[in-house]
Amino acid sequence: MSHAHVPIDLSDRNIELGSTGSVARLACFALGILALIAAILLAVTGNVEWPVFWRSWLQNWIFVLEISLGTLFFVFIQHLTKAGWSTVVRRPAEVLASNLNWLWLGFVPIAVLIFMGDAGKLFPWTDMAMLAEEAPEEAHLVEGKLAFLNVPFFMIRAAIYFIIWAFLGTWFLRMSIRQGRDGGLAATRTMQKMAPVAAILFGLSVTFAAFDWMMSLSPAWFSTMFGVYAFCGTATCGFSVMIIVCLLLQRNGYMVNLITREHYQDMGKFLFAFGMVFWAYIGFSQYMLIWYANIPEETGWFLARQLGEWGWFSAWLLFGHFCIPFVFLISRHPKRDWKTLMIAAVWMLFFGWFDVYWLVMPMIPHDLASFATYDAAAEAYASERTGIFRPVNWLLLVGMLSIFAGVTIGRLRSHPLVCRKDPWLDKSVGFENF
Amino acid sequence: MSTLTTKPKKTKVAKPADPNRPHMYGMIAEFETPAQILKAAEKVRAEGYKWWDCCTPFPVHGLDKAMGIRQTILPIIVFFMGMSGTLTAFVLQAFTNATDWSVWAMVWVTGYPYLISGKPLLSTPAFIPVMFELTILFSALTTVGLMFAFNGLPQLYHPLFRSKRFRRASDDRFFVVIEARDPRYFKARTSEFLKSLDPVAIEEVED
Repeated sequence: MSHAHVPIDLSDRNIELGSTGSVARLACFALGILALIAAILLAVTGNVEWPVFWRSWLQNWIFVLEISLGTLFFVFIQHLTKAGWSTVVRRPAEVLASNLNWLWLGFVPIAVLIFMGDAGKLFPWTDMAMLAEEAPEEAHLVEGKLAFLNVPFFMIRAAIYFIIWAFLGTWFLRMSIRQGRDGGLAATRTMQKMAPVAAILFGLSVTFAAFDWMMSLSPAWFSTMFGVYAFCGTATCGFSVMIIVCLLLQRNGYMVNLITREHYQDMGKFLFAFGMVFWAYIGFSQYMLIWYANIPEETGWFLARQLGEWGWFSAWLLFGHFCIPFVFLISRHPKRDWKTLMIAAVWMLFFGWFDVYWLVMPMIPHDLASFATYDAAAEAYASERTGIFRPVNWLLLVGMLSIFAGVTIGRLRSHPLVCRKDPWLDKSVGFENF
Repeated sequence: MSTLTTKPKKTKVAKPADPNRPHMYGMIAEFETPAQILKAAEKVRAEGYKWWDCCTPFPVHGLDKAMGIRQTILPIIVFFMGMSGTLTAFVLQAFTNATDWSVWAMVWVTGYPYLISGKPLLSTPAFIPVMFELTILFSALTTVGLMFAFNGLPQLYHPLFRSKRFRRASDDRFFVVIEARDPRYFKARTSEFLKSLDPVAIEEVED
């Protein structure tokens, strides 16, 4: 039942951005384009090697993609569970997810690179001759996977993911907008019917996309848990950005008395559960099986993430992505206070990015199997650098994130910030945690 | 049904002993809707009563706030008990698998350094599943055990069960219960006050 003592304010002033944010939008686009150009210039002028540039491009693009995928997950999970509480925060999530209809653009350069046959340093299986020369044993293993890992099938799969995501991302937004205009329960029912389909398609596409774009960077390595791990990454990034967007809207005087601390507490719970605890659970499950079995072709992937600086990097990931925010966010109070929740969301967003960096950037040295002991390998590669402070990483991050933010602001402006005629709006506004 | 989790201090107030009068438990007022009980709860609280409660057939949103119930300390205890579960599991496994110390725990217990598939003796990753399980176990047992203790459960009998009217508390009626041990409880004054809340009925319940 609803205890909204304050009347629900659905006036344009409260839930329509109108012309506000045009400066922020322009600034985002300008900053984004400048940063991208600067990053490309760094590569063109030879300050950054092209393989490093493309790896960084792939990493930052996957990071931005994960934000949208995480919010898409949020949207359909609400319909799947027929949740009423989230009605007031669903529109920002729908808008963020609708970015999936253009994010495929970031994949185009990589596709071109693969078609030109220059992607051997990025996806070794695209250049088997080079792989056979550098690491014949690894090439032998990868040969068995070529029925799956070949350029035409890889591109077909990518196209399928993009079609699924673009369709789902825009479909939920379109339905919700239509409902905001016409009202009625029919749209809610239709979205609820679509939700299980969306869940299955989402699960499969995210899993295989993770196999394709992150696992196949080290094609000899395999982990069946990897798709779930990547899903946790989408949850981390998506929920963090959702919280940040809602908070920014409210700090700027919108959605007043619509989103309450009860909703923030629940979004914080989502971030805590999926982005933090489930991530650690899956990450550890993946690590422990490989660590325990101790088979060289499996352990190499983790060993590469322990050599030299990567050891500290991995430790930072464990503490920054799990231990520290776990203690910080476990109580209900930091989830209900906007300042602490904002800190937690920004922190988790950063570590979402950090996690993708950890997944994409390290390269497994080809001669790892030739060392007699762990210590010998660790000593030989003691000078491994993570390169996290390379300007190109940060330029690409700022570039892609800014353009993403610019488009998102534009789309937030063109629709009301909440579905006006959603049948559960009352219920959602008056929602309270126990 | 919501209960006071942190009880106020017991205050003894001398009352004129009347041997002819049976010992009373308190007074109940019956309401028909959640909105009414919310309003009533706020007034009872404002009146300064300490030993009182609301009984509802289902959780009523906002009732805790209306009654002024403070948050329970339970989550904090659970957190630290969970952490001690983690620590217990780690110490137990590290001691039994990675040391050869002898410790007297009723009998002499000796650690047995046991090499498994060439891993170091102190292999934390292998310990983590048990650490996780004991964290959950300690937290869960603490939660359930202290929840019972704080609520005074198990309680097989309660004076309110005497009242026939009160049975509808588990069906469709909402009750405010003011206990006789409250220092502000005086039969005439309390029933006057409860009447002012506009209930369906008022009843005094014997202890």
